[in-house]
Amino acid sequence: MSASLRPDGSLGALREFMRAFRVQMRVIGALVLRELHTRFGRHHGGYVWLFFEPMMLAGCIAGLHAVIGHGMPGDMNVVGFYLTGYVPYYLFRGILNRSGGALHSNAPLFYHKQVTYLDVIIARNLLEIVAVLFAQLFLLYAVGVFNNQFPVNPAQIAVGVVLMGLFCHGISMMITSATVIGMEEVDRFIHPMTYLMIPLVGAFTMVWWFPSDFQQIMLLNPTIQLFEYIREGHFGPIVPYYYDLTYVISAVAITNVLGLLCLKAAGHKYPYLSDV
Amino acid sequence: MMELRDVWAGYKVHGREHLVLRGVNASFWRGDAVGIMGRNGAGKSTLVKVLSGRLQPSRGKFLRDPEFRVSWPLGFGGAIHGSITGADNARFIARIYDRDPYEIEHQVEEFAELGHFMHQPVNTYSSGMRGRLAFALSMAIDFDCYLVDEAIAAGDARFQSRFRMAMEERRKRSTVIVVSHSTSILKDLCTSAAILHEGRLAFHEDLDEAIAIYERL
Repeated sequence: MSASLRPDGSLGALREFMRAFRVQMRVIGALVLRELHTRFGRHHGGYVWLFFEPMMLAGCIAGLHAVIGHGMPGDMNVVGFYLTGYVPYYLFRGILNRSGGALHSNAPLFYHKQVTYLDVIIARNLLEIVAVLFAQLFLLYAVGVFNNQFPVNPAQIAVGVVLMGLFCHGISMMITSATVIGMEEVDRFIHPMTYLMIPLVGAFTMVWWFPSDFQQIMLLNPTIQLFEYIREGHFGPIVPYYYDLTYVISAVAITNVLGLLCLKAAGHKYPYLSDV
Repeated sequence: MMELRDVWAGYKVHGREHLVLRGVNASFWRGDAVGIMGRNGAGKSTLVKVLSGRLQPSRGKFLRDPEFRVSWPLGFGGAIHGSITGADNARFIARIYDRDPYEIEHQVEEFAELGHFMHQPVNTYSSGMRGRLAFALSMAIDFDCYLVDEAIAAGDARFQSRFRMAMEERRKRSTVIVVSHSTSILKDLCTSAAILHEGRLAFHEDLDEAIAIYERL
């Protein structure tokens, strides 16, 4: 408690911040490893499921459409179209559906005071984003082997998937906050909502298919723009794409700031989760 | 050392605040071994949460020396995760407390004597084994202050004696705070006591005197 222990001035504040930052990085790293164990375990294939789960679903959907022989407008490859639709949608659904119980299922962790709500949410969503990103690129290249259509700009696809993940991360913080303060009903709505959202998120449609006044309404939705962006990364300029990265990044930033504020409010008001 | 100054704290039920601690004053120094007694619902767990840093007081101040590391509440059944193995738990805790994961795993394995169960999910453990794991985990990380709940004393006679020996040895260099509503555990572990009653904490230098007062409550 002596004064000499307390760092003074901005340098001290910076050092203090760096120390806290290192603690948080360490905790998130430990949580990611732990999350890997709790979700996938070591038996029955273990971590393979992390990538196989999204791949299996997306592969089946894409394969089904290819077999039925749906042609896509603008000569887009059917399998490529559904893979760039379903995989990012899988990320969207995965993060939102699992955000309700995120903290309750990890309640024992909060006995350790260095573990915060935010750390747990970041660790979970980080794992989800990395897995889906890997699955997305792997699937697109694997299909490319057969139809000789490889991603035109893989970096753009990666940026798109990560932005999608960050957008969902922001929303998931709001959902989690709501469940923490006792509004568990929110979680009940999320599940059906993510299904009802399928036509609205833009996973299986493209903006240029629609009349221009309708396009204006569609483009208000940042996820629609993200699907356009990811598809441009895969197909290149064969059809028109509509997106505005500034708009998308602003939306990601705003949802994240709002999510953090919600979480902060929830954490200060109801820090009793370790009782659950 | 750490200090509570006029601390008010509690929880919310259906939006209504229910304060169980109403103006608690206390200070804990290195080498103290304090037993805190209180009836069910007196606020023992709430007090432990404040001391462990998990719960911010609604009013008043909780001051702690930055170098004074307080353990997580031992024996509350929490702090261990059921679906991963004992070894996974040990490495996880080592990581968040910035220690070498495999060294801690080894220490825990030795202390808890779980044998091959160390590599089985904690869900398959008996409650005694769980207690042993929880206690071994907390012993592997060096703290300046141990918050102990009476439930930790669950376990067979062999473990109980090891628990007491380990606590005895720690007491020389750390603070031990034991929370209980039974008095026999306190007699073994503590040198002084405090009674939590009607939201306030009253300290007694003499343990036997405190127990006598508590039993008349």
